[in-house]
Amino acid sequence: MRPSHRMAAGQRNPDMRNPYLIYAAKRLLQAVAVILLAYLFTFVVVSILPGDPVTNVLRDPQNGFTEEQIQAIVAAQGLDQPIPVQLWTSLSHFLTGDFGLSMRSSRPVATLIAEVLPSTLILASAGLAVALVVAFAIAYGTQLVPTRFGGGALRALPSLFLSVPNFVIGLVLIHAFGFQLGLFRVIEPDSAWATAFAAIALGIPISAQIAEVLIANLDHEARQDYAAVARSRGLGQARLFARHLLKPSSLPVVTVIALTVGEVLGGSLITEAVFGRTGIGSLVQRSAAAQDLPVLQAVVALAALVFVLVNLVADLVYPLLDPRLTLVGPPRRRADTADDTAAADLRTVTG
Amino acid sequence: MTEHHFPSRRGLLAAAAVLAGTSALPLPALAADGPRKGGDVVFLIDSLGPTWIPNNSAISSFQGHIWGHVTDKLAYVDADGKVSPWLATRWEQNADATEFTLHLKEGVTFSDGTPLDAAAVVANLDIWHAGRIKEGINPIGLFPKTYDRAEAVDLRTVKVHFKAPTLGFIPTLGYHGSILISPKTLAKPASQQADLARTAGSGPYLVAAWKEGDFVKLVKRKDYKWGPEAVGHTGPAYLDSITYKVVTEPSLRVAAVQSGQADIAYNASPQELKPLKEAGFTVATPRYLGFVNGWAINTRLPPYNDVKVRQALQAGIDRQEIIDTVYTPDWKLATSFIQSNVPGATDHSALLSYDPAKAERLLDEAGWTRGRGGIRTKDGKPLTLTLYSNPYLATSKAVDELVAQQLGKLGWKVDIRAYDVVTFGQKVAFGGPAVPAYEVTRSFIDAGTVASILTSANNGENWFALGDSDPTLNDLRDRIAGAKSHEVRAPLLDELQRYVLEQGYYIPRTQIVQRIYVQSPGLKGETYNGIAYASYYTAIKGE
Repeated sequence: MRPSHRMAAGQRNPDMRNPYLIYAAKRLLQAVAVILLAYLFTFVVVSILPGDPVTNVLRDPQNGFTEEQIQAIVAAQGLDQPIPVQLWTSLSHFLTGDFGLSMRSSRPVATLIAEVLPSTLILASAGLAVALVVAFAIAYGTQLVPTRFGGGALRALPSLFLSVPNFVIGLVLIHAFGFQLGLFRVIEPDSAWATAFAAIALGIPISAQIAEVLIANLDHEARQDYAAVARSRGLGQARLFARHLLKPSSLPVVTVIALTVGEVLGGSLITEAVFGRTGIGSLVQRSAAAQDLPVLQAVVALAALVFVLVNLVADLVYPLLDPRLTLVGPPRRRADTADDTAAADLRTVTG
Repeated sequence: MTEHHFPSRRGLLAAAAVLAGTSALPLPALAADGPRKGGDVVFLIDSLGPTWIPNNSAISSFQGHIWGHVTDKLAYVDADGKVSPWLATRWEQNADATEFTLHLKEGVTFSDGTPLDAAAVVANLDIWHAGRIKEGINPIGLFPKTYDRAEAVDLRTVKVHFKAPTLGFIPTLGYHGSILISPKTLAKPASQQADLARTAGSGPYLVAAWKEGDFVKLVKRKDYKWGPEAVGHTGPAYLDSITYKVVTEPSLRVAAVQSGQADIAYNASPQELKPLKEAGFTVATPRYLGFVNGWAINTRLPPYNDVKVRQALQAGIDRQEIIDTVYTPDWKLATSFIQSNVPGATDHSALLSYDPAKAERLLDEAGWTRGRGGIRTKDGKPLTLTLYSNPYLATSKAVDELVAQQLGKLGWKVDIRAYDVVTFGQKVAFGGPAVPAYEVTRSFIDAGTVASILTSANNGENWFALGDSDPTLNDLRDRIAGAKSHEVRAPLLDELQRYVLEQGYYIPRTQIVQRIYVQSPGLKGETYNGIAYASYYTAIKGE
């Protein structure tokens, strides 16, 4: 997904706009391919599952349908058609921007997604904000607090956060702040307090990944000559952190954030279930349980789109954070890895 | 009622204690100074079901709660199966029970202003019967398939024609599924009917707001004045609003009611009920009208083709232990293979008593002798029973495990298979080749429809894999279907129940409770209908 030669053209041409556009267009084409593949994959996976959304409901003996009635309904929904025909019908509608009707609720898929998207976007961005604040606070702490006064414990926090599933954090928060302290009502999961706690539950495990990368980079930067020089000139640890270490260390964080988008989306699904929020996660859950193919396809395509776009934005933002990328040969830089060593190597070379 | 200026959990619990003490007194709704009006109620529910197209959702378990408040029906069926007039003030039928004339209440309107007249009723009957399948609007599966047509004789009179005697028609009108919807809504395409906010009913509440999979908020309709006489109130509802809110986690629903954040928790687990009751919460376990939970036995599959083995099974189950172990005293012992509150159900408890000695004797007589490990064998084959836990009933597997122990003592080797809904639907069927016992959970409209399900005639479901081979059962089936009055039918139904139980065709476990309500003590006066749905139309909320 990340071409190693991505900015090569940019270096030969002083005008950055065209190569940028070509690059962006290429990535967009890739995005379209990824989305279509995700769409096909969803279709295949759901189609090979036993049963279909219509008969699953109709065959509940409680409903009292005769076999003839069931067959007539299945035929009217086109579910008796061969799989390739069903795929072609759905794909041709999808390509014209028509996501169709949900098989479960008979409502337009676009409406269903529009209904739940804001809730998920709010939770995901709040969760990401929490993750960033927590990660930077921990990383900052590791640089300031000596190991014997708890700095070591701070370094252990990310591993702890990673190993506690976010639904456990969620349940603990609900119990403590919802039921015991009464800060929010469990039945109003969209209230400010409830959203804040949901964001904490979502953000904490994600903060761990960001914090780990950030700490590793801060440690690396703190060992550099320029940091030693700064310290020898009497610069305090706090100012050193804020002025010199933070910016170079946060560069890989952008990549990590882009990569955690998948986890933010996946985590939202679980966090939504725990807190009872109605977002994309709960829509996917209901649709998956009902084998509601049109909704699942649209959501998977949307998730693929978000993932691809966020990564694209991250790539495009990189040169802005590190001006050296536009001055010295960036083609080889960080390319297809997300870890800090690539960025560090680059800086060692160019710096 | 107690008055608290600061409603709190402690306040609720205090109120609970007081109310528990006064629960024997008449309901506040009947007090001289009139019931307390106003109040908002929050009902926590596990799901709001898949769709809101009225036809496709009316008999689904979850949406029925909302439809019961947003729509009305032509007849009212109470928790004892008693049918009484509602929007149909009276009705007549011909001698053959093939033609019914319904007389409608005057002045009833849907919330979109359309009058609820004979034409509206005809439009509803037609769509219940046939749906509009091509458009994705299903028929109502339980509506009598003998329906021919309906006509509006005048503004207030509807005549309904059937192709065959249909004594169950009037009870059907009080059943889920038979909800009256404005003809304007019915004329809309499926995708618009699926938007609950656009659906107009004539019920005591209106949909104020809703979000799929999240909540439905109902507010009372102020000009409502046509409630069912049977619930003792016909004017506008007392409560201002009812909010149905999805909380999927069962313990969270109960905890929210315990902490005073909500008023009703739906589908609590049976094990939680006792402490909740003791803490002063109202626990309701209404029974629907239908079959008891039990097995339809496949009489084609050895050894269950032997009546003695079936009878041993009937006598070898300790039903009281099921209630004591898996359930609570709120569950009732089966007295027949249909629930005891169904009109026409008769008490055959004697046939269902636990008698392990009798069971052992019957198995000995049938040639099944104890072998190694206590398992009985015959001709080298072990006595086995494979149970497929019903995925629609949460407690099914626990009951299976207990029954497996009980039968194990008698020499049975019991295997339990627990499938998900989809797999169950595909692999497990009445009389299936590897299915000796099909676990039934099913409500029905009228005991008269029972007999025709049991055999294969007229698209029957052939529950016992008998086909048309049992002349006694066939004869009872035909005489019950042809009965033109309830007086003729009642003794036949009694005979059917006795015969099916004696033959061990149906092995009841317990009477079934599929809807469990845990309610805060401040809420009073709700009613439960024949399908065990709670209605808060008559409910009031204290503090």
